[in-house]
Amino acid sequence: MILEPLPPKVLSVRRIPNADPAVLLAYGADPARHRSLGLVTCDQDDPTYVALDEATKHARVDVVFAKSFWAGSKHASGKLSGEILGVLAGSDPDEVDEGLAAFLRCIEHDACFFAANDDASIAVFPHVISSLGRYLSAEAGLEPGQSMAYLVAPPIEGTVALDAALKGADVRAVKIFPPPSPTNFAAAWLTGSLDACEAAAVAYAEAVVAVARGPIERLPGRR
Amino acid sequence: MKEFVALPSRTRTLMAELRSRLGDEGPLPPAPPIPVIAPPPVRVFPSPRSRSRFAEQAAAHTTAMIGIGHVGTRYATDVVLQFQAELAVAHEAVHTVLPEDWAASKGLLSLKSRVADHHQFLLRPDLGRRLDEASLGKLRSSAKRGVDVQPILADGLSAVATMGSGMTLLEAFSAECSKRGWSVGTPMCARFARVWLEDEIGQEVGAKVAVILLGERPGLGTGDGLSAYLVYDPRIGKTDGDRNMMSNIHLRGTPPVEAASRLAVLTGAMLEQRTSGVPLDLSPLVAQLGDAGGTGYRAPQKRVRLVETS
Repeated sequence: MILEPLPPKVLSVRRIPNADPAVLLAYGADPARHRSLGLVTCDQDDPTYVALDEATKHARVDVVFAKSFWAGSKHASGKLSGEILGVLAGSDPDEVDEGLAAFLRCIEHDACFFAANDDASIAVFPHVISSLGRYLSAEAGLEPGQSMAYLVAPPIEGTVALDAALKGADVRAVKIFPPPSPTNFAAAWLTGSLDACEAAAVAYAEAVVAVARGPIERLPGRR
Repeated sequence: MKEFVALPSRTRTLMAELRSRLGDEGPLPPAPPIPVIAPPPVRVFPSPRSRSRFAEQAAAHTTAMIGIGHVGTRYATDVVLQFQAELAVAHEAVHTVLPEDWAASKGLLSLKSRVADHHQFLLRPDLGRRLDEASLGKLRSSAKRGVDVQPILADGLSAVATMGSGMTLLEAFSAECSKRGWSVGTPMCARFARVWLEDEIGQEVGAKVAVILLGERPGLGTGDGLSAYLVYDPRIGKTDGDRNMMSNIHLRGTPPVEAASRLAVLTGAMLEQRTSGVPLDLSPLVAQLGDAGGTGYRAPQKRVRLVETS
């Protein structure tokens, strides 16, 4: 079944209420402002980035660390590793709790990969962020509150689909991540009005499905 | 307060639409139920979670904001609102100016310090401690001299308080003094006055005791409090060590009429011992002075709620 949601699996959620300053510094937090950490691992990295950004909209937390692991969750270092470690930092445990609750809400109900073919061996992430939080807006160089299409697919699908998305809607590319990403995907961030971002995401997903259905194009003059 | 329901995922809706457009109509697995986001906490102080018997008992005896609980590292919403409302009352009092004709309308001798305007009054306490030339002339020409007690009403840091219960206190105090057989000076009112202005006035009229009744620095929620400062043998150069004072003269503290009799007791002690301030021995008078004696039991107080949160 195509375009069926592939729900991300949260593999671990842990809190460090009063983190050691050395740990705070090593993971990019500022001991002057941050004291508590919330750590999550998940088997899908891009929904996690989106959900971490969502957390910054609901609590005074900063995403101090978020990195994907090489080659993705199928090659994880352990069963709790997944393909990403995300770290929220806040001034106190209550803030971190609130941030984690928003994170889990988003990852359970919103951000997810979709199957691009029937056996889900190709996945696409055509996500629309209607209003950016403080984390992704800073990463993208946009303002918090702007809309962004967060598009991810495997290398060939992602490349063809990115072109389709840019042509199919009134959006501009903010950042393009050609393959291979740490998890061997291709990604792009596009911005425009919310409608335009939605149209871009739909065009992107449609193109990924099209490539998945016909990966080898017949060339002119060959039979 | 209302609960919030998270919006359904826009991306998932779009993909479901695209899916049926591409011809895949097979049923999707059921979506997880849309979560309800708990409303932000509105707690009433003292918050039930942080209730402690000690804090409750202590808080009952003061209007200070103690035992108010917390929500995370912050104050509860209604505490913040109450604080802001009380702070506004205090600001209002500080910025109120005593009208120029107020003293005359009450039949008081109208005096003014060397301060030119209200802004300068707040910034230059030194100017508020001396009379300007015109007032000095008025004082010399029309005030009674050589009196036992010279009461002075003044605006101080809260004209609201002076206009509120100032006259009541002045009249009650003057009556108490007359009742005890002391000569009382001309009733007067000074604008833009600081406490030490009583030194110059008392010196000019040759009073044995000068008493200045003035609006006190507003605190949270109390913009209507008066203070009284008494000094024996007023002369320019007296310090705060030479003064006795009584604060919180308002209905929730010491009511003006009760304050007047306590002030008279203090004045009596000064006239008898011929001194004031630190050297004044008040130990035999504790019973008559009430709170001013310093050891009294403080009756439970009720905070005036300025803001209601549902």
